[in-house]
Amino acid sequence: MIARLFLIFSWALGGAVILLAQPAFVGPAPSRAILPTPELQRAAYLARIDEILAWRSSQAKPGELFPEMTMIATKLALHQDAELCSRSVIALMKTPASGPFWMFPTVNVAFLGRDQLSLEARQSIRKAWSREMQIRGDTENHWVMYYTSLYLMAELYPHEPGSSWYSGKSSEENLAEAKAYLIDWMNLATTVGQGEFNPTHYIGEYAIPMLYLATWAQDPAMRLRGKMTLDWLFADLAENTLNGVLHGANARTDDISVIERGKALASFFSWVLFGNVPPIAAYGGWGIYFATVAQNYELPEVIYRIAVDRPSDYLQRDLKRTRRRWRNSDVLMAPIYKTNYTRRDYAVGSYQGGLADPIQTHVWDVTWDVPDPRGVHNTMFSMHPVSSSYDLQTYFAELPDQMAKEVTKEGKASYDSPDKFLGGSRFEQVFQDLDTVIALYDIPVGTRFPHINGFLSKDLLQLTVDPSGWIFAQGGSCYLAYRPLAAYQLRPVARVKSSMTGERASLGDQQLFSPYLKNGTIVQAAAVSEFKDFAAFQAAIRALPLSFQLATKPTVTFQTLRGKVVTCTFGAAPIVNGQPFDYTPWKLFEGPYLNAEKGAGRLTITHGALERILDFKTLSITDRVKL
Amino acid sequence: MSKIKIASALFISLVAALGAAAGPSHDLVLCVTFRVPGGLTATALPVPLPPCGLHQRGTDNRFTHFGPNYPRFNNLARDPRDPRVLYAASLNGVLCSTDGGEVWRIGTSWDMTEPRDVCIDPHAPDHIYLALPDGIAVSKDRGLTWPRRETGLPDRGKYMQVVKVDRTQAGRVLAGCESGIYLTETAAQSWRRVFTTQTTITDLQQSPHDAQLWLATTQSDGALRSRDGGRTWEKIAGVPAAAALYNIAFDATTARRYAVASWTYGILTTEDGGETWSERNVGLPVPHRVFRLGIDPDNGRLYAGVYEEAVYESLDFGRTWRSAGFEHSVVYNFVFLPRFANSPALAHLP
Repeated sequence: MIARLFLIFSWALGGAVILLAQPAFVGPAPSRAILPTPELQRAAYLARIDEILAWRSSQAKPGELFPEMTMIATKLALHQDAELCSRSVIALMKTPASGPFWMFPTVNVAFLGRDQLSLEARQSIRKAWSREMQIRGDTENHWVMYYTSLYLMAELYPHEPGSSWYSGKSSEENLAEAKAYLIDWMNLATTVGQGEFNPTHYIGEYAIPMLYLATWAQDPAMRLRGKMTLDWLFADLAENTLNGVLHGANARTDDISVIERGKALASFFSWVLFGNVPPIAAYGGWGIYFATVAQNYELPEVIYRIAVDRPSDYLQRDLKRTRRRWRNSDVLMAPIYKTNYTRRDYAVGSYQGGLADPIQTHVWDVTWDVPDPRGVHNTMFSMHPVSSSYDLQTYFAELPDQMAKEVTKEGKASYDSPDKFLGGSRFEQVFQDLDTVIALYDIPVGTRFPHINGFLSKDLLQLTVDPSGWIFAQGGSCYLAYRPLAAYQLRPVARVKSSMTGERASLGDQQLFSPYLKNGTIVQAAAVSEFKDFAAFQAAIRALPLSFQLATKPTVTFQTLRGKVVTCTFGAAPIVNGQPFDYTPWKLFEGPYLNAEKGAGRLTITHGALERILDFKTLSITDRVKL
Repeated sequence: MSKIKIASALFISLVAALGAAAGPSHDLVLCVTFRVPGGLTATALPVPLPPCGLHQRGTDNRFTHFGPNYPRFNNLARDPRDPRVLYAASLNGVLCSTDGGEVWRIGTSWDMTEPRDVCIDPHAPDHIYLALPDGIAVSKDRGLTWPRRETGLPDRGKYMQVVKVDRTQAGRVLAGCESGIYLTETAAQSWRRVFTTQTTITDLQQSPHDAQLWLATTQSDGALRSRDGGRTWEKIAGVPAAAALYNIAFDATTARRYAVASWTYGILTTEDGGETWSERNVGLPVPHRVFRLGIDPDNGRLYAGVYEEAVYESLDFGRTWRSAGFEHSVVYNFVFLPRFANSPALAHLP
């Protein structure tokens, strides 16, 4: 199943998108100057959209049919070449594909082309939706794309019988089912927490359908829901970015984004929305589908300012949830307690460990700011590489033995690789206090890949292995102290260049390989500006009281640079200054920028005097300027 | 359902069986998908693949695809009263057809996904049971509605891989779950656990020779046998339990023949009612990752779906094998459906 969706994923991206020079991608990093007024912010946003559309449009080959949907969508958005668009649509609809990655681009073209495509072209789309059984998929992002697409098409073609839809259901039945799913998903995400939270690339799978819903739904309530969900997603993105770069924990990421933090579709969204980071190549492909409709979204100034204007350090705590667990768990979806501590020069992010997603979870890191993130591996973390049919069966309704093999062939090539840096583990427990992270590992005997991997970037400066056991380094304007708790080797690592193919290249990074089942990592970050020099930072770290034992249950007691005494024992609640740390009172969002009570469906977005409240219970948006 | 309707259904089934006595009495349908050789990454764009989904064997022994080109069907059930009425457990939910597989309707809604199995109660053919990753749904109106019927199932551990109706008694159903085997004798009004496992039950089958005899396969408890209609279970000695067993089948032509499919062990067979077992993999690709097996109830022919390799068939119960096509396939099920007399196997066939 995943295989088929993957093929359609490639199709939707337009495998033939040519990497011609994109102005923002090849140009200098954007200015970080804050645009002072909503008018200027809006103008800059629209200019970026124009850039995308102009770039994609310029790739059309004169006289040739458009080979895939991003080009057609772009031309329709620009009101160009309608006749050629029609012929191209007719040609493509002769062999319709299946699945959400086919559905939402087709919806895009169907709506943009309502008054531009020929009757025959529009009928070809409609016919494709009649005859080709659409795969719904098996994950949350699949379903959001699938049901948003179905919802919009059912509204576009109302009062038609089941015989005219692949589902066998009438327009009204399709509409009701799609609406019910979308409302249920929104309720879940806004009361219990988002499932595929802070994804580096799957953000497109949510943002694009919500933009379409906000733009084209006839039902004003669903349009409003789409807009509010977009605000929700983008506020969450803004909170978790450091000058446009998504950092910290991700429910789902990939082999590239986890290392080169700026090389993510999330950066496309930061660029187009906030203008504070370069976009990725080809705008990630998906970005084009967003751009064709993006003028219909108006980014609230309060979100813009959260992304670009941070007057001080901040601590944000958020509640998320895991993917559904079919088996091997006492709960269907476990809570994720996510911490984000962001300063001017770096950010530290984490959740408590375990698997949010079976394959692509990233649990914690320190990410430092760089003037231009392109090509920079601006992050540090450790992890336990997992390849486990048990874990896959927890989340997939499949038999045990083939899954790892299938996963590696279906876009997650590193899954069964011992030197990967992607993925969470049931045998990792993490605690973060401000800019200190303690990660403990208690890996059972017999576990495949019985070791941990630490990531030491090629971009670290002054990497120093200290006799004290600490490894010191500098990343940008951030000092880093990394303390492995068990013996290790530093190895050059051939980093995965492509999650799809598994192609690797040695780019100068190092793997901290530690083959001990009971293990741990402490990372303490600090700003360069806090110390006279690197030596002073090292001296301060060496002076911090630290004790640990790994023989039974790994246990660490560490006095952080910020003066807290933290004791972590694998399998037990952390203790901070003598008090057990309790996650259970955590709210859905709590911090200076985002606040929401658990179960309330009501998010308050704040920056300075600006405030926006998204209330899903009353379906209302309230803006105010606090006096 | 009224007694008259039940009697009518049984009569039709009997006529069907008698009418087909001259030829095969079962249709074989494969639930199959195809994979790009060398992995998906061998090409950036989709390459031509045979259509995935349901492939039916015709009278000339050749297979014909019908229904949607669709990557994941786990099982297919046919109404014993009407060969045109089909229910398929698919990725999208249950797909229902009333015209022999030309037109389908997704019977379930957004809140049910990836059913693993579907079966019809032959004594109450309006009742269809759907095994779900999070429990079970039971339609009592020929697939129009699918309420959950989970009283007695645990909140967790009810991942259900397989559901089978006891052919001797209406409303008597066995379900294979993560936490064990569950039995209902009240058409799913309530369930009780009759066997406990640590990991999932992968298959359940009722003997065509002795309705009290049931066999099961598991992920970590080996193979199981019940001699009392599924009330109690025992492990079958001689069947390895260190690795997962995927499914089990009876040979309807020979009472004491069973076979087990396994990714690790390949094909395991017994010809003495489970007293002794043999690996029968000579002639299968190495490694012999058998994803599914089936035994033709008309002639005892043994089929093995070897993962991403092909379908193999054996005329001597696994002693020798030959390819039966379906290269680069994954077979999720070999479905043998009782054939109806004087009617085409399925509506799409001439």
